[in-house]
Amino acid sequence: MQEVLRLPRALSTRVKMPSPFLLVALLPMGLILILVAVLFWVSLQRGVIGTAAVTYTWENYAVIFGDPFVYRVSVNTAIFALSTVFFALLIGLPIAWMTERTTIPGKVAIYSIMTLGLLIPGIYTAMGWTFIAHPRIGFLNQWLVDLFGLESAPINIATPVGMGFVQGLSLSALAFILTAQVFRAMNPSLEEAATVHGMGFLGTLWRITLPLALPGILAAIIYMVTIGIATFDIPAIIGLGNRIYMLSTFVYLKAHPPDSGLPEYGITASMGTFMISVAVLLTCWYGRVLRQGHRFEVVTGKGYRPTLIELGGWGIVGWGFILFYALISKVLPLLLLAYAAFTPYLAPPSWKMMGQLSLVNYYNIDWELIMRGLKNTVLLVVVVPVVVMVFSFCISWVVVRSRSQWRYILDFGAFLPHALPEVIMAVGALLLGLFVVGNFLPLYGSVWLIAMVYVIARLAFATRAINSSLLQIHRELEEAAYAAGLSTVRTSWRILFPLLRPTLLSVWIWTTLLVYRELTVAVFLASHQSITLPAIIWSYWFGGGRNEAAAVTLLMTVAVTPLILVFWWFGRRSVLPSQ
Amino acid sequence: MISVRNLSKDFLVSGGKVAALRNLDVEVSEGEFFVIVGASGSGKTTLLRCVAGLEVPSGGEIRIADQVVSSDNPPTWIPSQQRRFGMVFQSYAVWPHLTVYDNVALPLREGAQRVPRNQVEARVREALCLVQMEKLAERSATLLSGGQQQRVALARAIAVSSKLLLMDEPLSNLDARLREEVRGKIRELAKHLGSTVLYVTHDQVEAMAMSDKIALMQLGELLQVGAPMELYHHPNRAEVAEFFGSVNWLRGRMIQACLAETPIGRLEVQKPAAPGEEILLGFRPECISIVEDRSATKTNVLQATLGSSTFLGDQFVYSVVVQDRLLVGKNRTLPRCNKGEVCLRVDPADVMVFPADNKRGMAVLEPEHSRALGTAG
Repeated sequence: MQEVLRLPRALSTRVKMPSPFLLVALLPMGLILILVAVLFWVSLQRGVIGTAAVTYTWENYAVIFGDPFVYRVSVNTAIFALSTVFFALLIGLPIAWMTERTTIPGKVAIYSIMTLGLLIPGIYTAMGWTFIAHPRIGFLNQWLVDLFGLESAPINIATPVGMGFVQGLSLSALAFILTAQVFRAMNPSLEEAATVHGMGFLGTLWRITLPLALPGILAAIIYMVTIGIATFDIPAIIGLGNRIYMLSTFVYLKAHPPDSGLPEYGITASMGTFMISVAVLLTCWYGRVLRQGHRFEVVTGKGYRPTLIELGGWGIVGWGFILFYALISKVLPLLLLAYAAFTPYLAPPSWKMMGQLSLVNYYNIDWELIMRGLKNTVLLVVVVPVVVMVFSFCISWVVVRSRSQWRYILDFGAFLPHALPEVIMAVGALLLGLFVVGNFLPLYGSVWLIAMVYVIARLAFATRAINSSLLQIHRELEEAAYAAGLSTVRTSWRILFPLLRPTLLSVWIWTTLLVYRELTVAVFLASHQSITLPAIIWSYWFGGGRNEAAAVTLLMTVAVTPLILVFWWFGRRSVLPSQ
Repeated sequence: MISVRNLSKDFLVSGGKVAALRNLDVEVSEGEFFVIVGASGSGKTTLLRCVAGLEVPSGGEIRIADQVVSSDNPPTWIPSQQRRFGMVFQSYAVWPHLTVYDNVALPLREGAQRVPRNQVEARVREALCLVQMEKLAERSATLLSGGQQQRVALARAIAVSSKLLLMDEPLSNLDARLREEVRGKIRELAKHLGSTVLYVTHDQVEAMAMSDKIALMQLGELLQVGAPMELYHHPNRAEVAEFFGSVNWLRGRMIQACLAETPIGRLEVQKPAAPGEEILLGFRPECISIVEDRSATKTNVLQATLGSSTFLGDQFVYSVVVQDRLLVGKNRTLPRCNKGEVCLRVDPADVMVFPADNKRGMAVLEPEHSRALGTAG
């Protein structure tokens, strides 16, 4: 037994030289922990933060929880998050059901439309809808007032419900993708059993299909609520100018007070800590619901082939619904943005205005600023996706392939950014740059601070995607390379990377597009030097230059179109063989 | 060539440790075709992967060609890449994004056993020729049949090192007819190249057909190591006998040195045991012979009632009842029947005797009748 007891020492020779992947994988994990720790540390401070003149206390928490304004903001946020989910499901759920369970024609086209929906940023929709339905400048309101001789604007987009509607339009693509998975995994023989035993179509839908899909739908709801409570861009674009605040815009206001007020970082940090707790709770709940959902899964054999519901003439109604959705969520907002980009001032579209179209906004915008923004944005778009892929490959490899004890921690750690809203990571990075490394590292105000947060924020998605692909690559393909004498790194390069190429490519394009359009983190962290293109749009918009903002938006959209086409073409190709 | 001493391997699972290997000793000589056989979960693949360096043993020592590659005292670890062997995997692990040629060439170009660039081509062609795949060299690996993939995997292993080959159930994904053909070819090739082969399989027929030496594993331990004939005819335990073919098992007691009292009467055995000892007797179905002339033989004659019989082409498998015991026999012809009565004999040399106190050994007996039926054929 002496021999057996000494065993761990034999293993220790390997522990001394852990895989190179593990070391790389631990780096971003450390950064996430540091961000959370900094946030908590600052939240306990009153006075001049980071100096001796500071007292450690829970007072910041007492202040935010005792503030009736915070209470109102929380209620706003709750209404906003719930209406977001409501509108997203109202659109996404029927389309998902039609695509997965009925004979509606043109399914590839539906998938393309919905995927493109994911790519068009919420801020574009928000700006477009401001032009449509804002109480003062929305053309729809002005038309309705003129048409019916109304006293005031009938539609107000600048309310929690209104913003929830716009956010819902933007998230409905996500709702579609999440619920389509649920319908796809469901065993159709359960529905058939109901039909055979005499239940009608609606009865089956109501009593069988929806209850079975419920855990999956509930998980999707929780996921979207988690996004909703921390969304910054749409509440900022629509609400901030109209003094309708959410938790995220409240945090922004405390960190960047208007009219040269003093930033209240302690309050910001304690609100951030509070939001992390809520988000972590929601994420845990999400994980639980997701696991419970597997309870309903009925084992499907090899001959599994879902029977589809014959839609017949209703297919036209279904397509009408989809096209209407595409119109109000994408086409109309983008058309109005394009229109506003060429008009000298905001006015409802009319023949008279068509005569006034010009390039005046492009003469007015500060091209020196644009070029600086372009430089930073290009830098981020080139660097961040590569770093994300290196980190997430290493994390995935350790999680999926190694026997390291670290793999459970890494698996959880890589999921953590899901729970951490981007607003909070941005605040954490801001405080880190200001109070922790400020003295020796000029990170604050540099584009690298933005890059760091982008990398962390995009890690969760990339790691999940590579995890599932790596699981599908037989372990022996890799072991054959080791046995044949190839080193770990060379094996990755020659065997794993080529086999993972489709996944890596889609992760790369997806990350690139998200980084390109990212607004929240950029608005919190961008300085004069490190400003990005979306942050420039934001600063024009917030400063009242709505036509200039539209002009820059149009430029950004045109510039990214080739990449979106590549993504669409590539996505379509990878969808087709699986059918 | 391979020497394994006191090897153990524990796996950590969510309820604690599971021992996959318990203090194993294995010795494989140069040029030997050594087969490790055992049921699934017996630890045979773990043993092979420890030798290959794909698993880290929990304790013990492994030497390849007299060089320590893994040891706990002093702690030594030579990674897979530096161990110099060729390996064929159960899934073949033919890299799907490369051609047949590149699958064989990649380790020679970039592996630890790389050869000078101008020799790569010749080495690859030679290996592909040996497995008759030279015509398909430029074909993409995704367009190969199972048998072809298997040959590519073999060529790759030979190209890296033909001195030592490790094979993990390389035939289990082939259909039965191809399997028989390929196992002969692999053995032929290994002998032609003078390779030492460590070969893992769960199939006892494959093990006997291919090996110079077989090691039978169960629950992480070696039950018996020896030549195929030795394991088949002189198993050291009931489990070994049971693994290599069906056996008619009987409980009994020695009444003289070579005579046992059993439920089907007194049986003479060849292997002496102490009188009074409780024993477990077994004889294989094909060891039951048909007695044509009763007067010629006296010992170990059984009066039986013929039950069911199955014709398998090359032989009959039949069941007989002897004193309420169901026995299974195999023969080219059916015993001649007189109102259902037949006369059978078991040669004393064919009766295997094991001590009955072996608890695990007794498990082969229960439940007696269904067991005898279930293992027939």
